[in-house]
Parts: sequence; C-alpha cells; structure tokens
Amino acid sequence: MKLSKKVVLLGHFGVGKTSLFRRFIDNEFSQEYKVTLGVQIKKKIIQLPDGRELSMIIWDAEGHSNSVEDTRKSYLLGAHAFIYVFDLTREETYLNINKDLEYLNQNYPKVPTKILGNKLDLVNEKETSVHLKTNNIPFDCLTSAKTNKNVLDFFSDLAEVIIK
Amino acid sequence: MVDELQFNPQVQVLKVSYDGIIKETDKNLFNWPKQSSIFDAHPFFEILRDFEQSDHSNHVALNFPCIHIEDSDTERICDITITFDKEEITIILFDYTSKYRDLNQIAQQKNESILLSKELELKNKYLLEKEEFKNSFIANINHEIRTPLTSILGFVEVLETTKLTFEQEELARIIKRESHHLNALIDDMIDLSKIESGTLKIVQERFAFRDIMNGFRESYSKMAEEKQIIFETNIDPNIQEYLIGDRTRIYQIINNLLTNAFKFTEEGKISFSVTKNYQRTNKLSLTFKIEDTGIGILEENLPHLFERFSRFDQDKQIPGTGLGLAIVKNLVDLLNGEIKVTSEPEKGTTFNVKLPFKFEVTKTTPGRKKKKYTLPESSNKFRILLVEDEEITQYLIMKILISKGNFFVDIAINGQQAINYIERRKYDLVLMDLTISKIDGYQATHMIRNNYGDKFISEVPIIGFSGKSNDTARDKCIRSGMDDFIAKPFEQEELMYKIIKQIAKKAAE
Repeated sequence: MKLSKKVVLLGHFGVGKTSLFRRFIDNEFSQEYKVTLGVQIKKKIIQLPDGRELSMIIWDAEGHSNSVEDTRKSYLLGAHAFIYVFDLTREETYLNINKDLEYLNQNYPKVPTKILGNKLDLVNEKETSVHLKTNNIPFDCLTSAKTNKNVLDFFSDLAEVIIK
Repeated sequence: MVDELQFNPQVQVLKVSYDGIIKETDKNLFNWPKQSSIFDAHPFFEILRDFEQSDHSNHVALNFPCIHIEDSDTERICDITITFDKEEITIILFDYTSKYRDLNQIAQQKNESILLSKELELKNKYLLEKEEFKNSFIANINHEIRTPLTSILGFVEVLETTKLTFEQEELARIIKRESHHLNALIDDMIDLSKIESGTLKIVQERFAFRDIMNGFRESYSKMAEEKQIIFETNIDPNIQEYLIGDRTRIYQIINNLLTNAFKFTEEGKISFSVTKNYQRTNKLSLTFKIEDTGIGILEENLPHLFERFSRFDQDKQIPGTGLGLAIVKNLVDLLNGEIKVTSEPEKGTTFNVKLPFKFEVTKTTPGRKKKKYTLPESSNKFRILLVEDEEITQYLIMKILISKGNFFVDIAINGQQAINYIERRKYDLVLMDLTISKIDGYQATHMIRNNYGDKFISEVPIIGFSGKSNDTARDKCIRSGMDDFIAKPFEQEELMYKIIKQIAKKAAE
C-alpha cells in the first residue's frame, strides 16, 4: 500500500511557511512576500531509509494573526503531523507558542507537532538559541528557507517520525 | 471571510468511488477524465484515503473553504464540499477564484504593512548594534595603537638628540610629524565615536577664557609669520576674564577652525574675533568669527561640509582627516551653540560660531600659570621604579631617563613585582603602567598607599600612564591614590616635567 501522510504547516503570517513549502517541494525561494489565503497543497515523494516511498502531502495553511485556534479546523482534519513555524526575528510569532501547542495537544493528541524557528539567516544562531532557551521557547529545529539551511534535514527527520 | 462573500460561482460536481475512481464529472472547472484516479488529480483529494466505505454512515459532510487547486496551467481557488453515501463520495467544487483574489489583495496590503514596520524595527536594531560594536572597537583599538605610537614618537625624540646628518634630521622630522598626525586622527576618531555613542560628557567648569584666547593669538601669530600671512585677532575687551563652560571642547572647536583656516590659506589674511552678543544675569552669548582669504569652498559642497570624511580640496599635500569639521559641528550642537559658514571659491571662508556661557558674578581669581619645577639638590641620583610589561616602552623610558644623567631606573614587569621592589628599596618615584598583569596599576597603588606604615613606601609619588582615554583614566588614577597621570603617546618634555614636579613637591614637604 502506498504510504501517504498529511503534514500541515501552521504559524503566524509572514513567518515563512510558504517559503519552507516551496524550498522543500521545488527547491525555490523568493524574497517577495506573498500572502497565502486559504491553503495550498503539494505532494513530495520521500525515499525512506528502508527503501519505501512516502508521499508527504504538505498543507501550507494561511497564517494566523493571534492564535493557532484561528486556523480553519477542516485544514487540520486527518493530519499526521503539524509543523509549527515561527519567525526568529519577530517575537510576537512565538510569544504564545506554549498556549498554541497546548491547544494542538489537547485537540489533536495523537498528532505530533514539530516546532521550527525560521529566518535563521537574519539572526545570530548561537545568541538566538540561547535567547529561546532562556525564555522557555521550545523548538526542534532552526532553519533558513532562504539559504536552505536545515530544511531538507528537518523534513527527512519528520518523515521518520510520522511513519513510526 | 468566506461567509461574507456574495457569490455566483461556477460549480463542478464529481462522483467518486471509495477507491478514488472518478465515476461522474461535468468538467465545468477541471478536465479530469472519468475512470481516472481522483488521487492523481490533486493532492488535496488524498484526504479521501482516510474514509472507509464500510463506515460511510458515520462520515459527516465536510466543507473545505479556500483550497488552491492547480491543473496544468490554471489555478482556481475553490470551496469544496464532500459528502459520503453508501456507494460513492460526492465532491462539489465552488470556484471563488476572483472573489478570493480580491480578498488576497487586501490581506496582502495589511500583512505587508505590518511586516514592513517589523523589518524597519529590525534594521534599526541591527544598525544600533553595529554602531555599538564600532564604538567599542574604536575604544579598544585606541589602546593598541597608542602603545606603539608612544614608542615611535619617543624614540624619534631620542634620535633627535643624537648627532644626525641633515638628511637624517629631515627624516626624523617627517616621522615625528606623521606620528603626530596619526595621533590626531586617533583623537578625532575617539571623539567622534564618543559623540555618536552619546558618551561624551560636557563639563561646566570655571576657566580662564582670556588666557585661552591669548594662547591662540600667540601660537597662531607664529604660524602666520612662518607662512607670511597676516593674522589679526580682536577679542571684545568687555568679555569676562573667567567664564563657565567646557574649556576643552571650546578650545577644540576654535583650534580646529583656526587650524583649518591656516591649512587652506596661502596668502592674505586670517582674522579671529570674539564678540559679545548679549549678557543677562550670569549668562552670556559669544560669537567667534574665523575669516580667511583661502581657497574657499564651492557652493554645492557647503551642505556637506560637516559630514565625516568630507574633503573638497584636491591638494593631497594638505594634511587632514576629514573629521575635524564633523567634530566641530557635533561639539557646537552639544554645547547648544550654532555654527554658520559662508564661502566663495578663491575669495575665502568665514565661520561664525555662537556659544552660550555662564560666568560668576563676584569671584575673581588670578590667572594660573604652569609652575616651573627643578630637581632638588642631591648628591645621589634619583631612583625611579618603572612598572611596565612592554619591552619597547621600558626601553624608551629608560633611554629618556638615563640620558638626563640624574636617574637610576629599576624595572618591574607586573604589580606584584613592583610591590616586592618597593618593599626592598627606597624609590623617589614610581612610573606605573595601568594595564600590567597579576595586580594592575590601580590595585598596586592602592596596596602601596594602604598596606604600609613606612612613609617611604606609602607616600612614594606615583605617576600612572596608559594608552587609554585621558579623562576616565586620569580620574581613576587620582581616585586610586596616584599623584598624576600621563597619557600615551607622551612627549619627552611632558614626561620629564611631571617626574620632576612630583620629586620636587615631595622634597619640599
């Protein structure tokens, strides 16, 4: 049977969800900001270490302004993983992260959430890591969609998590 | 947003089997063929894989608003409704592309303006951090540059006292001139960096205004004589002898403008006048006018005159850092003054600087002149302890002191060693570098002053020296118990003056 898994990108507007989506799917990046209305969906086939193929269906949902609760419920339906993206240069995109994660955990307890800090190219990695840790901001990976830093590795790791 | 839409959409209806095969379609929007797999049509439909036919009665109708569906070259933005029957799944696509695109524009503008303001905030923060880094870099590099510069200037002065050929004398003179120029450049950079970082403190002190003005008259008259130009001064006799203001910065402003006038005037006249604008209670305002008949400045260059590194003359022989006028403008602003410039090429330039001062209504104090000191009579040589870890500075100071014939010099390379020496031998003076290792100059001084009952130790004159910025280091030296401070690079004459002064004062006690 074909392995197909739905992954939803969540987070504030302008944090770079579409950039990560485009970088991962088409290996493209555009400096121009284009708002996402609704959801864009694309598929990427990933070769798993055991030789199987995983069809990762990525839902790039429109960004919210306040809380992840604002995201349409139907977009989250049937998800196998959430990627919560925040912008390392904009504090307001991760100030409510713990509340958002609690919401996802309560309403989708079986769906793992991976947290990603994006726009690493605009900050000092060491200082930022320390800042996030000091302020109790959880994260699984720091990426730059612009430079492609850590993007592919992140999705490869995610693939392994969701097939378990 | 979707609910607010008034619509008349195009609709496509599909009937799909539970294994994803398209059974029926009207192809109103997308040309997906019958009997093909809906899963191949678009990844959105992969969601249907989760629904089992056997369980259809439990499935509720699903609504997915605003889904981007691409097919070949077209993209439509649709609301999609899915219902589950016993035999098949019904999918209805409502095409709201144009309505959604209108909404998209509004959302784009709104989000862009928020992101733009954040971007500006970030850029501003970045620029501030960069500025801070630059200022601390300049402050640190200052010390590193001044130390070798001290050696260069010191050794040139030593060299000048030896027998030199005419050519060697000329070369030594050039090295000295260029070193002074480099030193002036560092001073300018430090000042500018302090001004920009807001750390330059303006002090209000009582000072002998007329003495400073007379000093300008004397030193620039000599320069005028050498250049064979006329130098006229006119200081309003009604101005008080003592004023309250920042003596150092006022000196710096006027000196900079006069130096500039002399640099760019090869013939004719330079006039310097000071006039009183008004006087009320204990306040007064003065105008300093510096007028020359030099090369002048083109009109289009005048607005850029006070910018950093602005030099409009083509003559590379005229020395200058391009920082002087930027500093002048900043200092005048800090002193709440005004500066104006008028100029005409080949005719000359006039600077008018208006500055506010205060004065004491009653008190008068006689002028303070630099007192002359001589070494006390002694059958023995004076013993000096030099505490310095840099070999080159050790060598330079030893060379200077020994050449005078009146001194023995011991060298300690750190604070601990200095303490050990002082405990064992009586010294007439200690020259203490402030940045030595183990125990620094301040700590060592503190120990000498406080840990010994023997007055020969605890009251030994100590002069601190450092390449660090004058004001702070001097204050810290005095607070830690030193008698005086000398900044690197120092001139032989200044070093000897301070050493002799301290020894003479001690002997007079």
